Amino acid sequence: MSTYLTETRYPLELASAMPDVWELWRRAKTLEWDPETDIPWEELHPERYSAEQIMAARMHWSRRTWGEYGAISESPALLLRFCLENRLPDLRFFFTMRTQEEGRHAEASWLMAERLGGYFPQPQNPPTVSAVGTHGVRRMAFDPDTSLEGIFASLVCAAEEILIDAFKATVHKATNPAVRRLMELILRDEVRHIAFGWQCLDAWAPTFTSATVQNIERAVTQMIQNVEFNGYRNLWLAVEGGSATPLEIDADRVACEAGLGGTTPEDEMRIVPQFIKKIRARMEPWGVKLPMFDHPKLGKV
Amino acid sequence: MSETSDRLLRGYQAQEKRFVERRFPLRFATENPALRELYGQAKRFRWNPETDIAWSRFDSAAYPPPVREAARLVWSRRAWGTYPGLGENTALLLRFCLESGAAGMDAKLFLSFRPAEEAKHLEACFLFARLLGGYEANPPHGALARTSNQPFAQMALDPDVSVEAAVAALGGLDDQLDLNLYLSHLQHSRDETARQLLRLVAGDKQRHVLFAWTLLGDRIPRLDAAGRAGVGLAVRDMLERVILAGYRNTWLLPAEAREPLLAAEALTAEHGLGASTVAQEKAVLRATLAQVRERLAMWGVTLAPLDHPELGRA
Repeated sequence: MSTYLTETRYPLELASAMPDVWELWRRAKTLEWDPETDIPWEELHPERYSAEQIMAARMHWSRRTWGEYGAISESPALLLRFCLENRLPDLRFFFTMRTQEEGRHAEASWLMAERLGGYFPQPQNPPTVSAVGTHGVRRMAFDPDTSLEGIFASLVCAAEEILIDAFKATVHKATNPAVRRLMELILRDEVRHIAFGWQCLDAWAPTFTSATVQNIERAVTQMIQNVEFNGYRNLWLAVEGGSATPLEIDADRVACEAGLGGTTPEDEMRIVPQFIKKIRARMEPWGVKLPMFDHPKLGKV
Repeated sequence: MSETSDRLLRGYQAQEKRFVERRFPLRFATENPALRELYGQAKRFRWNPETDIAWSRFDSAAYPPPVREAARLVWSRRAWGTYPGLGENTALLLRFCLESGAAGMDAKLFLSFRPAEEAKHLEACFLFARLLGGYEANPPHGALARTSNQPFAQMALDPDVSVEAAVAALGGLDDQLDLNLYLSHLQHSRDETARQLLRLVAGDKQRHVLFAWTLLGDRIPRLDAAGRAGVGLAVRDMLERVILAGYRNTWLLPAEAREPLLAAEALTAEHGLGASTVAQEKAVLRATLAQVRERLAMWGVTLAPLDHPELGRA
C-alpha cells in the first residue's frame, strides 16, 4: 500500500461544530424505516387498476429506482471528499446516513414497481440511458477544480429540491395508501437532505469568493439545463426527448391520474418555474445570479 | 482546500476514470440470498448510540481519576480505529457500482448501510470517551498516528487490486480481527455501559464479517490462479504492513510508541472498562490468523505462517 497517498487525518475532531447539521444526523437516527415493513403493501391492490395505469406506474417507479440508484453509485463520493478535506464532523456523520437513506429509497421504489407487476431494469430505448443514467456528481466530487459549494448547490439545492417540490405538490394526489405512504417516507428523508445543503451553504456564504459564486452559478445552471431539462427526473421535460417512447413520456401523467405517484405536465408547468424562481431568490443573497432558462414547453423561466 | 487534499482527490479522480460503469440493465432482484438477508438484518437491528446505551447509569465516581484517564485514552484510540470505516466502506460501495455495473445489488445495498453503522460506532466511542473525561483528537505518538492512518479507501478504489483482494484484506482479515478483539473486550469487561456498547457494536461487526466471508465464498472459487494469488498477496500485505505494525494492537507498535497507551489499556482492562490484556489480545490475534488461514485455504488461497518477535510463529 506504499504507493498510495497519505491523508492528513489528525487531529480527528469529532465534536459537533454545526449544531443544525448535527441535529439532522440525530433526527436521521431516530427516523429510520424499512421499505419491507413500514409500507402498507397489503393496501396496494394492483388488481383494482387498468392495465394502462399499472404499466405507467411500473414505468414511473422503475424510473425512480434508476434515479435513486445515482445516490448510491455517485453522491457517496462526497463523503470521501469530506474526509480528505477534513470537513467538519457534522458533515461526515450526516452524509453516512444520507447514503443509507438513498439506498432505502432505491429499494422501496424497486419494491413498488415489483409489487405493481414488475420492475423494468432499463429504459425501452437505450438512448434514454444518457438522460437517466447519471447526474455526474461522482466526477464532480473527485474534481478538486469543482468547489464543494458548487456541488452542494447543484446536487442538493437544485436536483434534490425540485424532486421534493414535485413530491410535495403531488403527494395529495396519491390516493393509493401504499404509494402515498412511500412518498411521505421518502419526502421525510429528503427534507433533511435538502436542509443539510442549504444549512451548509448559508453557513459558508460569508466566505464565498467571486470564484465560488461563479462555480455555484455554473454548477446549478448545468444541473438544470443538462440534467433536469434532459429528463433525468421527468421525461416529459426532456428537451431532446426523442429517444424515449411515447409510453414512457406519458407514464408519469397516467400514473399520477390513477393516484399511483408521478406528476402531470400541468403539475410540471407549475412546479418547475416556481422552483427556479425560489432557488434564484434563495441564492441571490450569496451573490449568485442564476440566468433565465429557455425551455420549449415551459417557456422562459 | 490544501495541496494534499487536492492531490488525494486527483488520485481518486484518476482511479475512477479507469472504470467504465455500465449501469443498465439495472438489476435489483436478489442474486445472493445470504447477502440480501444481511442487508435485511442491518435494517432490522438498527440502534442509536445516544439512546440505546444507558449513559446516565454510568457511575464515573466508581473509578479513580487515573482509571478514567486511561479509559478515555483507550476509547479515543478505538474511535481512531473506527473512523476509517466511513471512507473505506464508501469507497468499496463505489467500487462495486463502478465495477459490477448493473449487477451485485445485494452487496451494494448492504454497503449503503455500512458507513452509517461505522459512524454510529464512532459516535459511541466518542461519547464514552467524553463521559470518561474527554475525547482525545490526537494520538499520543507520531508512530501511532501513522499506523492508524492507512489509505484503505484508495485501495478499495484501485483497479489493480481486485474486489476479492480488497474484501479479503479489509473484511476477511481486519474486520475479523476487530470483531474478535471486541468480543474479547466484552468477555473481560464488567462495567455495564462498556458491555452495552461493546455488545451493540460487536453485533454489527458480526454482520460485517459475515458479509465479507459470504461474498468471498461466492466469488473466490470463480477466480483463476492469478486471481487467488492476488487475494493471498493482499491479505499478506495487510497482515505484515498494517496489522503487525500495530493498527489494532498497541503492543505491536514500535517499542518507543507504545506508552502511555499500553499502560492505559492494562488499567482499563483491569477495571473492566472495555479492554483486554496483552496476553488476551495475543491469543485473539493468533486465533484470528488461524481462522483466516483455514478459511482462505478452502479456496486454495495460501496465507503462510510467519515468525514475529512479539507473536512467535503464527
